[in-house]
Amino acid sequence: MSVGTMISDLLRSLFTKPATELYPYVKTPAPLRLRGKLMWDPARCAGCQLCIKDCPSNAIELIVIDKVNKRFIMRYHADRCTYCAQCVESCRFNCLGMSNKDWEMAAVKKQPFEIYYGKEEDIALFMEQAAKPGTDQSCPPE
Amino acid sequence: MTTDTNKFVIPIGPQHPALKEPANFEFWVDGEIVTGASVRLGYVHRGIEKGAEARTWTQNLYLMERICGICSHVHATAYTLGVEKLAGVAAPPRANAIRQLMGELERIHSHMLWLGVAAHEGGFDSLFMYSWRDRETVMDLLEKISGNKVHYSANLLGGVKFDITPELAAEIHKGLDFLEERNKFYLKVITTDETFIGRTRGIGTMTTEKAEFLGAIGPTARASGIARDIRVDAPYLIYDQFPVKVMTHTSGDLHGRFIVRINETFESIRVIREILDHLPGGELTTRVPRRIPAGEAVSRVEAPRGELLYFVASNGSEKPERVKVRTPSLCNWSTVLSLAIGLKLADMPMLLSGIDPCFSCNDRSVGLKSANQDPQIWSWEKLRQYGIEYYR
Repeated sequence: MSVGTMISDLLRSLFTKPATELYPYVKTPAPLRLRGKLMWDPARCAGCQLCIKDCPSNAIELIVIDKVNKRFIMRYHADRCTYCAQCVESCRFNCLGMSNKDWEMAAVKKQPFEIYYGKEEDIALFMEQAAKPGTDQSCPPE
Repeated sequence: MTTDTNKFVIPIGPQHPALKEPANFEFWVDGEIVTGASVRLGYVHRGIEKGAEARTWTQNLYLMERICGICSHVHATAYTLGVEKLAGVAAPPRANAIRQLMGELERIHSHMLWLGVAAHEGGFDSLFMYSWRDRETVMDLLEKISGNKVHYSANLLGGVKFDITPELAAEIHKGLDFLEERNKFYLKVITTDETFIGRTRGIGTMTTEKAEFLGAIGPTARASGIARDIRVDAPYLIYDQFPVKVMTHTSGDLHGRFIVRINETFESIRVIREILDHLPGGELTTRVPRRIPAGEAVSRVEAPRGELLYFVASNGSEKPERVKVRTPSLCNWSTVLSLAIGLKLADMPMLLSGIDPCFSCNDRSVGLKSANQDPQIWSWEKLRQYGIEYYR
């Protein structure tokens, strides 16, 4: 390869725009199958907890409010999640899915990574109970 | 190490600007010429094999994938093949085809990454930038198929997660056309650029006999004329229906390793096209029991760097009893240490990157050995004394 080829290549590169994307000013749409934040549909969940058994990073917890009436809350730890989508595969009722829109989840605190899913009144009930001293049944000690 | 004080030793690593991953090399030099070499590994040992014993068969799939960031799919494939052998199930042909397709795409991505790294070590940064820019194409394809650029997590026990739709197939074809054209250009660059040839031709030449003797595997061995490839010698997945040609070169030097790897990229592109045109139909998954029957299985696959071996043992429970991994990088270290002798010190980075080392794959276990003590247990006092003696 002669030196001339390289110089012409370099000159051409000088006048073309950068190969990198101008994120976050210009956003390219994410691919359809992108594995972003985990989404949970409480209406279809039967509480079998297969997703929790198969999760390689203990990122999902299912909190039982009322087992008979199938009232559950899901606590999802987005910081522990490895986005492997095994839970989505394990779920027999198709109530789990991974978002391809919600993936810009950076935060400077740990708190935004703890995400609650479920009916609003159930979450409110659970939060109320958790706020009482000595009744924290939520999180196993770490 | 030697106690001879007349030797001049140049230590490189574990933290060193020329090394991207931690390992400690000691080169004994006479002027500029290397007269001896030694390597100390184990700085990124993570205890993954032990960790595997505490996780279920499904959870381990993702742990094994994280042994290596570059060849994550082959690790998961080797593990699933072992577990499926133990469980006595076979994945459907379509799942195997998709596994093979992902594996070959990964090989393209790995070889292009290596081309960039090796060019960078040789001081050819334009080639490094070019090949890494074009590598984005194959990574984007992998992201479109699986939803992730690095850890694809395409494997499941008993199948795959993702299907290849006709639209995706068209996109892959388009990407491959571009990659083929670019790799032709790179082949032309490395065979005609004088500076590059000066840095690679005749450097670290390994004869076929020497490669056999040192136990070289993968592209390093194939560049020395050993036609050894698990995809051909012991076909797994559906390599018997979509065979690959073993790419060899007779020169045995660094230049030969470049040519072998780029030719393998072309071969991968050809196989992917063939798979896409004749993708078998049918299901994507079969059922695998949660408890795997007791027994032992060995599975071998061809990773981009050479033969990858998994030994999986089960005691019939939900967790494996033992998972043993032997990665290709470890087998090739002896070739580096042996070939270094007689070369200039400045050739060392090129020679090191010539085997495409992956240190995190390498560092499987640490053994401490001494004649008069329990090799496993060291008391704090003993360790402290050892440290004091070592640095005296």
